[in-house]
Amino acid sequence: MNKLATALTVSGRKLPYVITDNPPRGGMKYTYFSPDKKYVIQFYNNPSDADLSIRSRLEAIIGKYNPTKSHKQGGAVGVDEKLAGYFSKRYCWPVDIVVQPEFGIVSPCYPSNFFFNQNSSRFLNLDGKDKKSNWFTSSNRRFLDKSELGDLRMWIQMSVLLARSVRRLHQAGLAHSDLSNNNVLIDPRTGNCIVIDIDSLVVPGIYPPEVAGTRGYIAPEVLATMELPRRDPRRVIPGSKTDLHALAVLIYEYLFFRNPLSGPKIFSSVSAEEDDFLGFGEKALFIEHPTDRSNRPRDLFPTVDDYGEILKNLFHRAFVEGLHNPELRPSALEWERGLTRTRDRLMMCQNPDCVYGWFIPKDFTNPVCPFCKTNGDRRSVIKFDFYTEVKGHPGQWRKYSEMTAAKDTPLFLWHIRPNVYADEKTDSDIMAYTAFTQNKWYLINNKIEGLISPKGSDVPFGTAFQMEDGDIFKTAQTGGIIIEVRL
Amino acid sequence: MSDFMRRLPVYLLLDISGSMAGEPIEAVKVGISTLLTELRGDPQALETAFLSVITFNSSARQVIPLTEIMLFREPMLQAGGATALGAALSLLADCIKAEVRRSTDTQKGDWKPLVFILTDGAPTDDWKAGIDILNRSSTANIIACAAGANADPTVLKAITPNVVMMNNCSSGDLSRFFAWVSTSVKVSSKSLDSKPGAGIELPPPPQGFVIVP
Repeated sequence: MNKLATALTVSGRKLPYVITDNPPRGGMKYTYFSPDKKYVIQFYNNPSDADLSIRSRLEAIIGKYNPTKSHKQGGAVGVDEKLAGYFSKRYCWPVDIVVQPEFGIVSPCYPSNFFFNQNSSRFLNLDGKDKKSNWFTSSNRRFLDKSELGDLRMWIQMSVLLARSVRRLHQAGLAHSDLSNNNVLIDPRTGNCIVIDIDSLVVPGIYPPEVAGTRGYIAPEVLATMELPRRDPRRVIPGSKTDLHALAVLIYEYLFFRNPLSGPKIFSSVSAEEDDFLGFGEKALFIEHPTDRSNRPRDLFPTVDDYGEILKNLFHRAFVEGLHNPELRPSALEWERGLTRTRDRLMMCQNPDCVYGWFIPKDFTNPVCPFCKTNGDRRSVIKFDFYTEVKGHPGQWRKYSEMTAAKDTPLFLWHIRPNVYADEKTDSDIMAYTAFTQNKWYLINNKIEGLISPKGSDVPFGTAFQMEDGDIFKTAQTGGIIIEVRL
Repeated sequence: MSDFMRRLPVYLLLDISGSMAGEPIEAVKVGISTLLTELRGDPQALETAFLSVITFNSSARQVIPLTEIMLFREPMLQAGGATALGAALSLLADCIKAEVRRSTDTQKGDWKPLVFILTDGAPTDDWKAGIDILNRSSTANIIACAAGANADPTVLKAITPNVVMMNNCSSGDLSRFFAWVSTSVKVSSKSLDSKPGAGIELPPPPQGFVIVP
């Protein structure tokens, strides 16, 4: 039944693709694969949807807004080969436009780790299916093999990457406009994610796409105003602020396996449709709202209290203060940084059967995994507190970060510089690392310049310094920091 | 499943009258099997869709009650007899009443059921009475498919505005029909009605199928 066809692209390339009987089909488009499965060609269900604004939007997306192509190659300003390579892993970004036989889009195939294999489930034949988030964040989890599920460290890692991907779009003035469990594939095993369906991006100066969003991810203000005429100024159309709602929902789902707005509260007894329309729109209420508990499921566990102060604050800003006030939602950059700092605080759970595997200790002197209540092995970790000198107040120090370190834990530039953050540009050079031998903790200086030991002596590159509780390391250069050690 | 999880009830009303014997009924069996594989491969459909099969020939019977996709077992189907479409519609009304959770002040109801009717001939019973019973008791999004030249699209149009017609009741067309059903269920389990109570948006029907205006 399969038939080989050739697509002519706007750049003049001729690309073969395989026409299959029942191609995978979404709400807007259907997909054919190339014979080598390296790229896909997507056509519109309704070819008249591919109007002029879609075409000009795609040209901009593939060209000057493209972070997966270096500026030299016609991609976005400021993108070099290295960054283009990095972002190619973060997005499935369209590469070309098909002009014949009809209008279509060429995109690369997702990397193989975003497809299930034959060992992924004992109950379902998932071999070759893509890893839509929903497999992992709903009751469907129970069908997956344990090896697919990852652990809290990996879930936070993929949340960091998603926040980074969204931040990069927003930084360029773009918005995804339809972030959802369908448009982000995740691989919790390796802590990876990739954003797909890039063609409905909101591009500055080009008429926005006609998408509302996906159930469960659509921002309340979009749903609440969608019955207004399209030109009505009160009508909210998807953009970066609504992306920030969807981003927070996705992160919440990765960490809690549940939707933050799906609770028991009845918003309408007329119909399920109207109940949802209100419950995800005008009347949306966080299931963990601190004072209004009317949408809170019974036996809610775990809660945002179990994920550390940083994430708790971000979730409250997203779903309490910012739920109906888009201006108050945390930016993607804040999520990226908050998640990175949370990742730095993770401690491994001693219980091999703990579903989470890691936790954020509330009390470092007496750490207990909040998920399985197992006591943490206090002797297996140390804590670093990082301080920077307050500008204009010499001798006054402000804590800017902290870290839970096990043995062989690296310290990167973003740990030891208060103004450097972990992002796509940060060098992943190891500045120092910890070691634990014969019951003693050591800090090995790899390349921190001017590191001064608690005793006031230099710690040259390549040397180890034995740490004691309460030790304070300093760096000599201006704008230096101090590192306080808690054994 | 928590008590506030909504389900998407899906009813298949399948004509197994004598004219479906042979290749068509075999194609329907394969179609149901493919439908299950497809829905089990889609996380949202797997989580929310519940499936039931009602067959009709000289009478109507619910061969599979509304069942979650994972637990669904393929029904044994045998063709023979007349085309009691009216009885099937009235049975559908009973099943929806008994199985679909309604929205109340204390209960999160299910989504509006999605119903697919497949028939290859003109009804042999009082189909108008069946429509009356169905219309009186329940609301559902109904999609009817007239399979081949002997089916009567005007009857189907009286049931629902959404009627498609396939050229002939061949295994190829039937397989495309079930693929379309699976895509429709997947799309419905994802999309949010733009406005409560508005009509559903289905993917375009397969090639060779005609939308009956």
